[in-house]
Amino acid sequence: MISLNRRKALALMGGTIAAAGLSTPALSQGRKITVGALRFTSHSASFIALQRDYFKEAGLDVELKFFQASTPMAVAIASRDLDYAVTAMSGGLVSLADKGAVKIIGGALSEEAGIDGQKYLVSDAAFQAGVTSPAMLDGKKYGITSAGSSFHYMGSKLAQKEGITMSFKPLQKVGAIIGALKSGQIDAWSIVPHIAKPLAGSGKVHIIGNVSDYIPDYQVTTVFTSAKNAADERGMTGDFLAGFSRGVADYNATMIDHAHGDDGVAAMVDLIHKYVYADRPREKAAKSIINGTMRLNEGAALNIASLQDQLSWYQSEGLAKDSITLDTVVDASYVKTLG
Amino acid sequence: MDIRLSGVSHFYQQTEVLRDISLEIPSGRIVCIVGPSGCGKSTLLRLIGGLERPSAGEIHQLGTPPTDCLNPLTYIFQDFALLPWRTVRGNVSLVLEDHGIRGKAAAEIIDDVLARTKLSDFAEALPKQLSGGMKQRVAIARALAVNPAVMLMDEPLSALDSQTRELLMDDLIALWSRTPFTAVYVTHNLAEAVRLGHSIVVMSRRPGQIREIVHLDTPLQQRGLGNAEMDEKQKYLWQLMRDEARAADAELIDV
Amino acid sequence: MSELSNQNEMHQVPFRGGGFAPTARRGVGLAVFLLLIALTELGTQTGFITPLTLPKPSDVLKTFGELYSSGLLWQHLSVSLSRLLVGASLGASVGIAVGVMIGLFSYVRAGLLPLVAALFPIPKIALLPLFVIWFGIDEGSKYALIAFGTFTPTVVATYGAVDNVDRGLIRMGQSFNLSWWSIVRKIVLPGAMPGILSGLRISLAIAIILLVAAEMLGAEYGIGAYILEAGSLYDLERLFVGVAILSILGVTLSACIGMIERRLLRWRV
Ligand SMILES: Nc1ncnc2c1ncn2[C@@H]1O[C@H](COP(=O)(O)OP(=O)(O)O)[C@@H](O)[C@H]1O
Ligand SMILES: [Mg+2]
Repeated sequence: MISLNRRKALALMGGTIAAAGLSTPALSQGRKITVGALRFTSHSASFIALQRDYFKEAGLDVELKFFQASTPMAVAIASRDLDYAVTAMSGGLVSLADKGAVKIIGGALSEEAGIDGQKYLVSDAAFQAGVTSPAMLDGKKYGITSAGSSFHYMGSKLAQKEGITMSFKPLQKVGAIIGALKSGQIDAWSIVPHIAKPLAGSGKVHIIGNVSDYIPDYQVTTVFTSAKNAADERGMTGDFLAGFSRGVADYNATMIDHAHGDDGVAAMVDLIHKYVYADRPREKAAKSIINGTMRLNEGAALNIASLQDQLSWYQSEGLAKDSITLDTVVDASYVKTLG
Repeated sequence: MDIRLSGVSHFYQQTEVLRDISLEIPSGRIVCIVGPSGCGKSTLLRLIGGLERPSAGEIHQLGTPPTDCLNPLTYIFQDFALLPWRTVRGNVSLVLEDHGIRGKAAAEIIDDVLARTKLSDFAEALPKQLSGGMKQRVAIARALAVNPAVMLMDEPLSALDSQTRELLMDDLIALWSRTPFTAVYVTHNLAEAVRLGHSIVVMSRRPGQIREIVHLDTPLQQRGLGNAEMDEKQKYLWQLMRDEARAADAELIDV
Repeated sequence: MSELSNQNEMHQVPFRGGGFAPTARRGVGLAVFLLLIALTELGTQTGFITPLTLPKPSDVLKTFGELYSSGLLWQHLSVSLSRLLVGASLGASVGIAVGVMIGLFSYVRAGLLPLVAALFPIPKIALLPLFVIWFGIDEGSKYALIAFGTFTPTVVATYGAVDNVDRGLIRMGQSFNLSWWSIVRKIVLPGAMPGILSGLRISLAIAIILLVAAEMLGAEYGIGAYILEAGSLYDLERLFVGVAILSILGVTLSACIGMIERRLLRWRV
């Protein structure tokens, strides 16, 4: 009982402070939380905030837990084994939100015109057969992890805009899709640039378009938490977003705006290398990490228009119930909103 | 067709099972082989039927079997060896099919042998529906269907109760009286031997050797129950065998 | 003792022979099943069981109704059944053939038995990506996975069944001069049939499990694809509909084998 009271008290304190300003250090010292992450460059904000003590200064004692895919991460949030995580707004996430389990509280990564973003890829076989632009994908096989995944969304939006039809092949894992694409079992796919570019470099796969040309301002990944945290732990959630946002700001300033010069980039690559491509030598990893640079959402800003478009698409495909509204899925009260 | 064994010996690995067996099986006669269990009777029968090759010695057929004989050396097994998934008719038909006998020709033979073994009413029954005695009669019918020159019977009545055994012995005698057949009849039951054998080969314990051959001249039909001469012969055989049986028994315990 | 006992006192001999002999109790299984469903319905209606834990059975039924009336049920079921049919019959027939050969020929036994023993414990699902490369992402790899998965247990069951055929019957066949082929066809195969059929029961259950695995890669339709999609969407109603369809499929197949057994094995005691 005592610990519960303390928790509540801390949450209240945190709430007051968060209201005073996102970047103000909190007084709720040493609150233990767990944050889920994939070993991808796009999760760098969490790594930076942890390594540079931004979470600690926000009063949080963060433990990172690593996952192989975003699906188990969402389940871990729903089962309250995780407090916060970053992932795409998939059909599964929408369904969990509808069940009152999870809530999107911020944005993490967006497609932006002018900045290198996700790519549409085709297999070499298809490319040699003349498929050199997305418009030529009519009747082709498009790889996705599962129905209602972000890959499905990207492929479907492409087909919609070009007025073509494709068959979507669920292959469960990114690794399986890459294998199928390389061996020509499927024709097309879309993926973040730091995976797309080395694949294209091998010559077995070709880049034929940018996702941003088909889905402008696409909010690719979001920050989410359990519905309980979003509603009842406003202080802690605000503190987390504050720490996370400082990580985002560092990342964008250093990696995209080069505010700290090449030394700054090198130092950040070192930091990220502890988590991403840790099994590769520094030199090789650095290239991939720099290749994978995409602008993260400053202040974890939410792009409501993009999220609404994604939700509407799931509903039109019968992958989410028609009764679900964006309010059920997103709690926009924590961060700035765009669009 | 006669069968002649000369100097037959048999080994299983180092174990000598049969030693120097010489024996004549004359046509139209029933030769009984008795001996303590494990002395090699079944082995001897397998050698005679060509299911195994003797380690030494030779086994000859004298003369050719009659032309209508489909399977000169035909077994009747202790455990009947009926196919449980075939009816009585199907079990008999099994041994005709490979000789290309089907349809009407087969039906004639089957009806005949079933009538001879008093099974006509059970042609469509499955083995599981039959009593032990009836199963053995099916096996006999199956053997009769191929018109054997020599019947090789390995304790054919041992799996049956004593009443059924009496009845089947009567059946066998009736069959033999109608058309005498040649048979080697292995048994450990002396009463069976004196009822059915024209001659009785007494074997010693392993390695099996011929101890004595006893001839019985009384016609089979006159050897009913309570026949004093038969009792006498049986007593004599038992005396011959008792020591062997006791020694064989002790040997088994020693192993 | 006997001197002390009172001759006038009389007791019934106490019965001690009860139990340890399960007898058929019709309907009890169904009652347990219905009770569990009723409890789940009650729990979900009252909110004792959260929607994240279990779906409402009535919603599952409704979802099934929608699936049926939309015509999609048949679309999913027909592709799954044809995958199951082609894959399982391929695996089972080759398995029976190889199993019989192992049972009959010493050289085949010496050559293939170690191979089968090595193949048996491989989780066939692990080979799926390989099969995709070999047989293509469409139906080929799915047939191959199901066929391969049913093949090994069928082989093992079949050669075991052939080994167990009564040697006395084979000897009888030889003693009547039946040809080798007649002995195999009329004695060995029917004699091995009970073992082969009970092996088939296991093989078909494995085939259903592998159906879901096979539909993990590149299947747009099929019960397995439907279940996987429902899983990735956390759509528990559809997930349970799919699982129920698989269970019904399993029970139906098992009943079919039961019928075949009753027809083919009427001769058994
Ligand atoms: N196939 C076999 N391999 C090895 N030993 C055998 C084989 N068949 C029988 N024997 C042995 O040969 C001896 C004689 O057996 P058998 O002919 O069956 O005796 P009987 O029929 O007189 O009881 C026994 O000791 C038995 O263990
Ligand atoms: Mg014997």
